[in-house]
Amino acid sequence: MQSRILFVDLSSGKTRVEEDRALFRDLLGGTAVATELLARHGNAEIDPLSPLAPVIFAIGPFSALYPAATKTVALFRSPLTGELGESHAGGRFAAALRETGIDALVITGASDRPVFLHIDGQEAEICSAGTFWGQSAPATDRILREALEKKGRKLSVVRIGPAGERLSPMACATVDSSRHFGRLGLGAVMGSKKLKAIAVSGKGSVAITDPKAYGSVYQTLFDRVVRSDEMKKYHQLGTPANVLPLNAIRGLPTRNFTQGFFENASRISGEAFLEEVNVQHIACAHCPCGCIQVAELREKFAPAHYSTVRVSYDYEPIFAVGTQLSISTPQEILRLIAFIEKQGWDCMSMGNTLAWATEAFLSGAIGEVETEGLSLSFGDTRSYLEAMQRISSWKGEFFRDLEKGTAFCASKYGGKDFAMHYGGLEPAGYLTGENAVMTWIAGVRHSHLDDHGYSLDQKLLVKDSPLEEQVRMQVEEAQWRMVLNSLVICLFARGVYDAQIIADGLGTLGLEWTQERLKKFGAETLKAKYRLKKSYGFDPKGITIPEKMFNVRTSTGFIDRERMSRRLDLFLEYAGIG
Amino acid sequence: MREKGLKVINRDRCIGCLSCMYACTRKLRGLGGTGKSAMRVRAYSGTEGAFSIRVCSRCTSPDCAAACPTGALTTAGGGGVRLDREKCISCGACVKACTIAALQWDEEEGVPIPCIFCGQCVQYCPNDVIAMVERADQEGGEGSAE
Repeated sequence: MQSRILFVDLSSGKTRVEEDRALFRDLLGGTAVATELLARHGNAEIDPLSPLAPVIFAIGPFSALYPAATKTVALFRSPLTGELGESHAGGRFAAALRETGIDALVITGASDRPVFLHIDGQEAEICSAGTFWGQSAPATDRILREALEKKGRKLSVVRIGPAGERLSPMACATVDSSRHFGRLGLGAVMGSKKLKAIAVSGKGSVAITDPKAYGSVYQTLFDRVVRSDEMKKYHQLGTPANVLPLNAIRGLPTRNFTQGFFENASRISGEAFLEEVNVQHIACAHCPCGCIQVAELREKFAPAHYSTVRVSYDYEPIFAVGTQLSISTPQEILRLIAFIEKQGWDCMSMGNTLAWATEAFLSGAIGEVETEGLSLSFGDTRSYLEAMQRISSWKGEFFRDLEKGTAFCASKYGGKDFAMHYGGLEPAGYLTGENAVMTWIAGVRHSHLDDHGYSLDQKLLVKDSPLEEQVRMQVEEAQWRMVLNSLVICLFARGVYDAQIIADGLGTLGLEWTQERLKKFGAETLKAKYRLKKSYGFDPKGITIPEKMFNVRTSTGFIDRERMSRRLDLFLEYAGIG
Repeated sequence: MREKGLKVINRDRCIGCLSCMYACTRKLRGLGGTGKSAMRVRAYSGTEGAFSIRVCSRCTSPDCAAACPTGALTTAGGGGVRLDREKCISCGACVKACTIAALQWDEEEGVPIPCIFCGQCVQYCPNDVIAMVERADQEGGEGSAE
């Protein structure tokens, strides 16, 4: 049973492990445990980038034990929104942590010099990162992987790039091969602590209460992940499979959410990427599905000379720097993603912010004075690369501001009506309708994955349902995902992890949970999450829907103010968080 | 009939999911994680998606056994090695002697983990990267590390 929490104080350089069996017994792990730990160790008085600000990481009871239980939950206070920051990442982090016997991490304090944290077995060491502070996110991975390879058979490296070091509130933390704690600015929080990286050397095994039953549940889940249709989409095209279906229903946000149709979607679809640039699929540790798409970007840099880099791509980056910026070839999109990967920005926030900047420039809200002569146009890859070059070298006030996000820029330069953000966070790639917008307003991390709003919108195209029913389903899904995110499984495997198999799986580990108890736990965890969010100033009724959203046609028609207000009231009522 | 051994037949198809390593630890030891796996999928530093799979070559004259100072590792019938735990002094010389780094080390118990060629790892590979094949004579150059 899980119990061990590693506390790291970067100010004093001290680390200690504490056991808390009750915490994991009552709250499973992952998002529920992290919520409780952040509530215990943080408070609303602490600035997100203060040395006192805690960063929590937590894995769950299924981590390293069942297939596709690959995610780690990070909780912190977001420097982008000032509110609760929560981000999940795959890679090898969860599996490596489980093999060290550490179930959660609480990092506080700040170092006065660059450091990285190395967790080797149950021992933790704070080591100098002086020689590689300033290095890109991919280079940091190369450096640490080589330096620590011999220390364990499963190594995971979580690191920030220069964006995090510059405290950009949209900086992410990158995990292993292009997985990310992408959203809400964990990279800046790590940067403020001078924490360049966390490296985990896993090398142990995990005792099982009932090995025979464990093997049986494992086999069922493995077969579902590998052989059933439920994960086929991810196994083949990966998340970019979404490009064409969303475009077909006019739900693919294009040129700063001006319309849901991108005329060149077929050129940058999952199918086109696969055909033209894909070289391999890879997987998070312990996921036989393997949805990570890797492309090769080959560029001529001198006569008869080429450079080649491997870049991972997904649906959201294709939307953020593809359709949002009207970029029409895989190669150009990969160039933009590669730049973003090196800097360590959240690709969704950066793409949306560049889209806002472009509309601001084209509509006259800003001019060449602000851009210092750089002309921004949709479709102009060269200008976007130049813009990002200026942002990353802090050339000019406007460019320096761009990495602070859409909300900050719009409040300073204007163009608020078309500043696409919800409470400060730039949205994911869905222009499907009101349910998707509801997720961004009411979701616990304002992520499209907090519930299935975008999917509900798509179902409405086939069969209408009463508004109350839509909201009820949305709330139930949000509650259920609290269970999945506490275990912590990849949400792409949500279809294979039903309540019965989860209860069975927990049983093999000596944890007695019925389906009913799981559902109740989900509802309670959602409430706990909102209590924490409210303490940080979250007010769902205070989140403004960008004005532009009322003037564009979504897959399901126009967004209606009164209906949105009604939806929100119902959401809060059904979730019991009014 | 020749003995069967493991062979990496499609290295380039590996996705790095480590299902093979999990299978080894789970099926043979009834444990979770990869800590008791008798083989390894190595991820190269700095290259997205480059993996190298190291499985026991089932040598008929194993370097690991030759390096063992106490006779704890001995050649098994048909090749490969078996471990006498009583004799093992946890020096790690065997692991160092395996140039292809197929012989794994149990960090918790301080002993090597000889492969028994049961083929469980093969059963869980989603992409036919590894296979159980009749082993060829080593002199023929059929290695198992790719």
